[in-house]
Amino acid sequence: MGKLSRPDIFEAVFWLLIAVIFFAVSFSFNQPIEIYKFGATGWPRVILFLMALVSLGNFYYAYSKGSKAQEGRVGAKENEEPIKYTSAGQYFKTGMVLILPLVYALSLKPVGFYSGTPIFIALIMIAWGERRVRFILTNTILIYAILIGLFMIVLNAPLPQGNMSPFYDISAFMLKTKTQFDQMF
Amino acid sequence: MIENFLAGTATLFGDPFTIGIFVFGVLGGMLFGAIPGVSMLTLAAILLPFTADLSPAQGVMLFAVIYCTGTYGGAITAILFNIPGAPENAPTAFDGYPMTQKGMAGKAVGAAVLCSAIGGVASALVMMSATEPLAKWAIMNIGPPEIFALVFFGLAVASSVGGRTIWKGWLSVLLGLLIATIGQDPVGGINRFNFGYSDLAAGIAFVPAILGFFAVSEIFIQAEKNVSGKYTAPKFNVDFPSFFELWAHKIAVVRSIFVGFFCGILPGIGATLAAFMGYGEAVRWSKDKSEFGTGKLEGVISSETANNAATGAAMIPLLALGLPGGALTAMMVAVFQMHDLEPGPLVFYNSPDLIWVVFAAMFYANLSILFVGLIETKTILYLLKIPFQFLAPMILMLASIGAYISRGLVLDVVVMFLAGIIGFLLRRSGYSIPGIVLGLILGKIGEQNFAQGMQMVHYDLGTYFSRPICTILIIAGVLTLLKSLHSAFYQKPKVQ
Repeated sequence: MGKLSRPDIFEAVFWLLIAVIFFAVSFSFNQPIEIYKFGATGWPRVILFLMALVSLGNFYYAYSKGSKAQEGRVGAKENEEPIKYTSAGQYFKTGMVLILPLVYALSLKPVGFYSGTPIFIALIMIAWGERRVRFILTNTILIYAILIGLFMIVLNAPLPQGNMSPFYDISAFMLKTKTQFDQMF
Repeated sequence: MIENFLAGTATLFGDPFTIGIFVFGVLGGMLFGAIPGVSMLTLAAILLPFTADLSPAQGVMLFAVIYCTGTYGGAITAILFNIPGAPENAPTAFDGYPMTQKGMAGKAVGAAVLCSAIGGVASALVMMSATEPLAKWAIMNIGPPEIFALVFFGLAVASSVGGRTIWKGWLSVLLGLLIATIGQDPVGGINRFNFGYSDLAAGIAFVPAILGFFAVSEIFIQAEKNVSGKYTAPKFNVDFPSFFELWAHKIAVVRSIFVGFFCGILPGIGATLAAFMGYGEAVRWSKDKSEFGTGKLEGVISSETANNAATGAAMIPLLALGLPGGALTAMMVAVFQMHDLEPGPLVFYNSPDLIWVVFAAMFYANLSILFVGLIETKTILYLLKIPFQFLAPMILMLASIGAYISRGLVLDVVVMFLAGIIGFLLRRSGYSIPGIVLGLILGKIGEQNFAQGMQMVHYDLGTYFSRPICTILIIAGVLTLLKSLHSAFYQKPKVQ
């Protein structure tokens, strides 16, 4: 096994899988272009071929020299020592931090920005390990107020309103209030 | 030229409303550039519809000013939080963030302020004196083969910085190039890799991707440290670099001005490649290369001088040829079009007033970086004192809004967070986020110019080598790749 570790094998499989899957998908748009000899697939397939080739080089490097940083690499210092997980709790907490924003993003269409945001802000603080209720409440309100003040009131930016009741109604109420506020001045 | 410049200055400062727009642009660009999670592009996207109510000169001037000051502003977040405000500030983080960790944030930010101003002013001066001849030179000598060759060279340089090994550097760039192929192909408009999602036909917008890879992944990295109890707050420090410290890097400044200007003048390339090349050249010419990436002032200086030197130069292809060099200059084309104008050679003859107001505004905006930037910096450094439990949700929210606003698609917010998760996992494994982002930005430009170049030379690659600029750039790119390939096989790993 040389100096290979499990992540090295996983990485090689990951890159090769990407190359193979994308190569297979490229047949779905393999149409000729009259004015261009290489067609729509030429450029991506060269990239995929190089990706497969370089991933093998990466695998060979890990096999022969391990996964430590190469000497003289610039800008790689911060990645040298990935954090080691010692308990399932750590996996869970990091997983929550990674998944919560994605759940928020996916909920933007039905729930909208105005209703979903304060809940998300509070949840992300909890996921970060914050347990002081007053800190969470105060800062959630403060961040929400800054965002609404800057983007809704000052910059008039269009933000997702949601399409599900009662979230849509809350957004409509906020926008109506804002319009009334604008008319006052 | 001086008469035109003075006339432009008089128009700029002769009307209180125009002054107000100028000041708004200066402060807005700096502020949005310096708020982690949003960037000058967010501000520009929000302001775009409002420019319809301004005069053409005011609208274009506002965007030009935001471009100058926002390019500098992005350095602040790169240095303080390892979150580049824009891709052109990515190399600044290589040394800027380690400097913050060492308690030298003031020095790094101070150098960024000064060098951004120097690079920007020098570039503005050359732009004013030589836009027309340089544009003519560019028309005669720069075609798709040269642009493709420069993209190739730039990607070769990008793969050699960042990433734990050269292989990981290359894989990062290739991943960026692959992501750039999602959407319609640039020649036939055929949908590629959209996996049935019609929203993906327009491709992955690079604002959400950049926010995800840089800002969101950095939040996740810090969260992971927090969870495992390894999070340490950055050290607060407001010591600026001394005159002698900066003077010692005068050659790096001059070199970066040339590199930045050259990259900026080429259509479609812009400040991002300029910053990478400026940084790459600093590493190449340094006697002690191992110090780069560990908090070397020269790294910040080279990157920040080069990216601001590209801002003035990027106006040359935009104004003279109508070709934008990046996202913000592309929005400037939209401002022109809103007012029934087309940027291009005719604009010099049809609207000389507009041109000189923009030139004068860019000159003064770059000067403002020096004065306003120094005052702003003293305040902005206090961001380091804000607890990250507060800053993290704030950054995530600002990034979400920034990603959503540019196209009004929730998909972009999803893409941003997915890019954040992928970026987090890749960073843990030693891959280069700047490499991915540069691949993503230059991928489409590279493919488009390769295709055009191939059609131009009737698929005869040998013709590429009959063009001197193209030959030099391809040889330089190949040598860079060979050098890194050599090091990949014959260099020992770091002993820890």
